[in-house]
Amino acid sequence: MANLNIKSKQENTYGAIVIGSGMSGGFAAKELCDKGVKTLVLERGRSVIHNKDYPTTNMMPWEFEHRGQMPEDIQRENPVVSRCYAFREDAAHFFVKDQEHPYIQEKPFDWIRGYQTGGKSLLWARQVQRWSDHDFEGPARDGFAVDWPIRYKDLAPWYSYVEKFVGVAGFHDGIPQLPDGEFLPGIELTAAEEYFKSVVEQKYPGRNVISGRCAHITGNAEYYAKQGRGICQHRTICQRGCPFGGYFSSNSASLPWAQRTGNLTLKNHAVVHSIIYDDAQQKATGVRVIDANTKEVTEYFAPIIFVNASALNTNLILLNSTSKRFPNGLGNDNGLMGKYVAFHNYRGGVSGEYDGLKEFTTEGKRPTSGYMPRFRNVDKQETKFLRGYAAGIHGSRSKDVNYSGTGADLVKNMMNPSYGPWRVGSHMMGETIPKESNYVALDTDQKDEWGMPQLKVNVDYDQNDLDMIQDYRDQLSEMFDEAGFKNIRTWDDERRPGLDIHEMGGVRMGHDPKTSLLNKHHQLHTCPNVYVTDGACMTSTSTQNPSLTYMVFAARAVDHALKNQG
Amino acid sequence: MNRRLALKQLAMAAGGLALIPSCDFSEEKVLAAYDELQITESQQQLLQKLVDTIIPKTDLKGATELGVHNFVLVMANDCMSAEEQKQFLGGLKGFDDYTKKTSGTRFTKMDNVEAEKTVNAILEDKPTSDDEMATKYFLQTTKKYTIQGYLNSEYVMTELMPFQLVPGPEFNGKKEIVPGEKVNING
Repeated sequence: MANLNIKSKQENTYGAIVIGSGMSGGFAAKELCDKGVKTLVLERGRSVIHNKDYPTTNMMPWEFEHRGQMPEDIQRENPVVSRCYAFREDAAHFFVKDQEHPYIQEKPFDWIRGYQTGGKSLLWARQVQRWSDHDFEGPARDGFAVDWPIRYKDLAPWYSYVEKFVGVAGFHDGIPQLPDGEFLPGIELTAAEEYFKSVVEQKYPGRNVISGRCAHITGNAEYYAKQGRGICQHRTICQRGCPFGGYFSSNSASLPWAQRTGNLTLKNHAVVHSIIYDDAQQKATGVRVIDANTKEVTEYFAPIIFVNASALNTNLILLNSTSKRFPNGLGNDNGLMGKYVAFHNYRGGVSGEYDGLKEFTTEGKRPTSGYMPRFRNVDKQETKFLRGYAAGIHGSRSKDVNYSGTGADLVKNMMNPSYGPWRVGSHMMGETIPKESNYVALDTDQKDEWGMPQLKVNVDYDQNDLDMIQDYRDQLSEMFDEAGFKNIRTWDDERRPGLDIHEMGGVRMGHDPKTSLLNKHHQLHTCPNVYVTDGACMTSTSTQNPSLTYMVFAARAVDHALKNQG
Repeated sequence: MNRRLALKQLAMAAGGLALIPSCDFSEEKVLAAYDELQITESQQQLLQKLVDTIIPKTDLKGATELGVHNFVLVMANDCMSAEEQKQFLGGLKGFDDYTKKTSGTRFTKMDNVEAEKTVNAILEDKPTSDDEMATKYFLQTTKKYTIQGYLNSEYVMTELMPFQLVPGPEFNGKKEIVPGEKVNING
């Protein structure tokens, strides 16, 4: 028996283990494999192989039985995921249904999840704006959370490194709070957006409208062909999985790349129960895994462990990793793990119409839209709320179809549409302030079907968020008004936290082990061979989309891990 | 998807059987594909006439020819709440009697001109009774799904308003409009 155990331990030992195959886990795996490390990637969901497992990718609109709409019974059974804009007939198979992994909403929280190879990297909106020192210095300047232990200069070369691999379409805009990157040809704004840009940049110094930088290949085809990816064909149905590999996902890019090194072992249906801590060696030695289907428990071992399970699941795994040394969760001496969770505030929106530019329309589709980098409280505090918001900006020519009447009249009407006014709109992306009262914790009684404690979520908006929504509505409608847009309407959709799908924190970075969980290299302060580089590590949330920064963290942390391996 | 396909085939089989002359109309088969609705062959035929009244065959293909009546039933069966279904079904089941009462002829017996006139009148009317409300709701919903099913049919999206699954990498944000050029809502 003893011999068998030794044999199984050898068979289950790797150079590194990565928990999670999504955006950040996939990139960590690619980096590790590239550097010759035998790497085990644990993915709790099923296998989704690029181009093989995209069942809807080539379907025409009329081939969807409900033309995209989700049937009533599915919506009724899945109120949480049904609120997600992308949970539609073409991509529903890439989302976790409400009953599949229950959690406890002590406060309303829409936890949107994708359990499969590639995780949510198949489903993301692909906006990849860099963060800047305005973000990394925010907590220190404004006195919330704790100081980030890193600055933009620590990340800049890694941003370049990741962007080149990912492929980012963008323009060099020269905006301090939104550093330029390694860009492929940018995707142009529409006539209405161009016009709005000119009005804003003339009348509001310091405010800009640019084309959102997005993870789509628009050039350098030869280089990306080496990844097996091609130029983006602007289908804008990315959530189905792209047969061209035109946008970046773990499935199309980082995982196949890692696979080709011969160093990758990807294990699906692997629900991580906990990280194994060895009291004698004083380090983490492996990972305990429950087979999602058989419920069988297996242990895997490695000297380096990356936790990239997505922000809240990373919290769940670490909190569940208890030992004599760490009775409250791995690395959680200070009791702060699970706390200071924050997210993005997407509640506000503005719309209007523009009667000018009648001689123009748009042709083709584009995978991005206009973007207004944060302009509030950038260099100095100018509002009663802390921090700021970025805004999506979009303008497209409406097409009017006359649906009145019936019979031959209706047919004639429908077949002769005309151009209406330009429709312009915006949505906000606000920074929320991480607070101790916004936390996740393990429930002591209720377990899921794999025997893991259910996660309790306690996350809510605060007055700062409400003031920010109001300011966004005031500012954007004023700028729309300045531009001569008509029928301006603003709203607060009062969506629940979580629906932004940008939950962050709980295992935050910092200088001091007393007030943070991770050091500047993403190592747990008190268990340094465990790295966290997904959303859980975020000290604050910025106004920019976080995925690019997670990948940058992963690449940088792998570099550190391999250079500092004892 | 497979479940739906199976149900559709079942429905076709059921529809086929219903063509065999039967004297016992009280026990008309319900269409298995639309399990929530429990509608009969003759109600389906009424709906067929209705969608063809809304979008008849002209120079272009009509709604029934494209199977839009089936789409209306699929949407009503799968995508409506129980309350909406109740109203929709109330309107559908009572429609022939309603038109008999209001215009003296059953809808199913009307010629095309009369049918269209009747449908327009109901759509424009302000309902005052529950009956009228259900009828108007049924018609509005049927019209909505008929238009959706028609405009999103393969025929319209390939021959009349071509849709491109792979538009290609060109995007022009400032295309000059050529006066008189046909506007394509899927372009």
